Amino acid sequence: MQLATTLWTSPLLHPLNDVTAIDDLLARVHPTWSLGRIKACVESIVVETADTKTFALRPNRNWSGHRAGQHLGVEVEVDGVRRQRRYSISSAPSRQRRIAITVKRQPGGVVSNWLHDHVRVGDTLTLEPAAGSFTLPEPLPRRLLMLSAGSGITPVIAMLRALLAMPAPVDVQFVHAARRPEDAILAAELGRLAASDPRLVVHQHYSADHGRLDPATIARLVPDYRERATLLCGPAAFMTTMQAHWNAQGIASRLAWESFGAPVGIVDAGDGGSTEIRCSRSERVFSADGTTPLLVAAERAGLTPRYGCRMGICHTCSCVKRDGTVENLLTGERSAEPGERIQLCITRAVTDVTLDL
Amino acid sequence: MQLSPADTAAFGAELDALRNEVVADLGERDAAHIRRIVGLARGSAITGRSLLMFGIDPVTWLLGVGALSTAKILENMEIGHNVMHGQYDWMNDPTLASATYEWDNVCDSGHWRRYHNYEHHTFTNILGRDRDVGYGLLRISPEQYWRPKHLVQPISNVVLAALFQWGVGLHGLDPTRAFKSKIGRARIRRESRAFFRKAARQLGKDYVLFPLLALGNAPRVLLGNLTANVIRNVWTNVIIFCGHFPEGARVYTREETRNESRGDWYLRQLQGSANIEGSSVFHVLTGHLSHQIEHHLFPDLPAPRYAEIAPRVRAICEKYGLPYNTGSFWQQYGSVLKKLFTYALPGGTTKWNAYSQKSLS
Repeated sequence: MQLATTLWTSPLLHPLNDVTAIDDLLARVHPTWSLGRIKACVESIVVETADTKTFALRPNRNWSGHRAGQHLGVEVEVDGVRRQRRYSISSAPSRQRRIAITVKRQPGGVVSNWLHDHVRVGDTLTLEPAAGSFTLPEPLPRRLLMLSAGSGITPVIAMLRALLAMPAPVDVQFVHAARRPEDAILAAELGRLAASDPRLVVHQHYSADHGRLDPATIARLVPDYRERATLLCGPAAFMTTMQAHWNAQGIASRLAWESFGAPVGIVDAGDGGSTEIRCSRSERVFSADGTTPLLVAAERAGLTPRYGCRMGICHTCSCVKRDGTVENLLTGERSAEPGERIQLCITRAVTDVTLDL
Repeated sequence: MQLSPADTAAFGAELDALRNEVVADLGERDAAHIRRIVGLARGSAITGRSLLMFGIDPVTWLLGVGALSTAKILENMEIGHNVMHGQYDWMNDPTLASATYEWDNVCDSGHWRRYHNYEHHTFTNILGRDRDVGYGLLRISPEQYWRPKHLVQPISNVVLAALFQWGVGLHGLDPTRAFKSKIGRARIRRESRAFFRKAARQLGKDYVLFPLLALGNAPRVLLGNLTANVIRNVWTNVIIFCGHFPEGARVYTREETRNESRGDWYLRQLQGSANIEGSSVFHVLTGHLSHQIEHHLFPDLPAPRYAEIAPRVRAICEKYGLPYNTGSFWQQYGSVLKKLFTYALPGGTTKWNAYSQKSLS
């Protein structure tokens, strides 16, 4: 086996073992065939609310499964540019290799809007494996509180589904906040689950009628919430409020949470502020101001990235930016795309940035 | 051609604006183009190698060689050279990323990125800094110092053309510079490893792996692969020589290029380069190096864009009274050959130029 792998990946066999070329040929035969990549067929699309859809996917055999609460990567190409986003898997793990993601349109979001507008039943999506540590606590507690707001329901409902599929003697209180009944993602599904399973009690909270969901409301709905293991997911402001309350009550250890789409600390470096640049490979951190190209800032910090012309021509200093917003000093264009290649010599940081250096 | 500093700045600003306009418009169609060429090159390689491996008659041998040479030319020129310039980095496709692409010839892509993308494209046509001026072998301008080896350059040129990939591969090593210092020797030891590794892979592929797979047809495959490599070598050599060597393309001294502004840099790129006219198929087969002027002004724009913006670049040049060197293939290559013969003989070097080169090289 070892020998076979060594042989197969040997450069001496190139181009016979050119995986990209073979994959492209396989994709011509059948769109979900691939040697190593996860490709999934879109089996159905359910419109949940005006701005949310659930995509049911059937991935190929390269999919190695997930645990409830995890997220997966979706890779799409929009106008020639490859982009990757992570979405929580809203379905419970199943043996049939069926998964679902529930996607809400983000204002100005390139990928979420593209998924809504362009993906049809029968299309193929390229996925990245499931990851994430926001999963059901082990050992399983007797009493749980699931607390979600808006699209934060997706990982939580996956855990709920997985939990109810087990014969465990649990007691689950589910509090979900949405603006109005018509905005409540997966509300019907929650109601159906509650009606069929006595272990689950659902509280829908509509902020348009009753104001924001606050700790006092939770205390009223679920009086014993302090003793419950709590799973929390929702928008940043909601999460901050809840985390602060759990901390103040001294029960932070009972709280597990996940934030997605958390806003980056937007410091416009052009205003004389400075940003923090993290290098994921060398594990170095340095700061950059709003006028210095990242290459110069890195060198001042004692790093030695590869470089050539220092004027944006030769691409020697090109490097993958994991996250953060940057500005191209030649064109003035700003970009927050994760995983894009930038030229360090003509790029400055607008926010904190993580580089593959 | 001299412009006033104000005109130079205005000229540079117009080119910057043109570049930004194209960058803002990059998208689906550029991605579709490069993917189509990748598909064509692969299809052509599979066809060519199959014809060589399974055919028995001379006709399929010729067709096989034709298809394999086309594949190698497309891969080296329209894909490899352009991808390594970062023309498709904006796509975020790891298989088309400048930093990691490895092409189908004996030149190590790391060497290429340094000596071509950085040195040649930054210090274009500066004597003593751009080693692509004559490739350390040929004298193609009167400003170059004459040496006895130049007497035979009409012959050495033919040899260089046939073995061009080896010339390019060794060019990256620059052995002449390496033996002058300890650092140079350490560098060449390190870099020659990369060269030998790459060369071994290329030789292994074309002269061991595929002939072995062909069993009894091994000699036929070996000869076919060798021929395809030579055809690719000659084609790339001839096209590349038309880029900077035709009459009218000038060279620079270091003194002239001190404290260059961005506008000055554009001017040098323009005046050191020459285009070849031809059909769109011809342009693709040259990797759009037939638009050498546009390529040198904007090395990281997707190459098919060069043909589109060429009329506008030309109009900008006319506006500032600048030359725009273009002509048919035979015109341009004919003038390269003429230079090769003319400058084989001593003459034309001023004392000052000879001195400045000697002190620099």
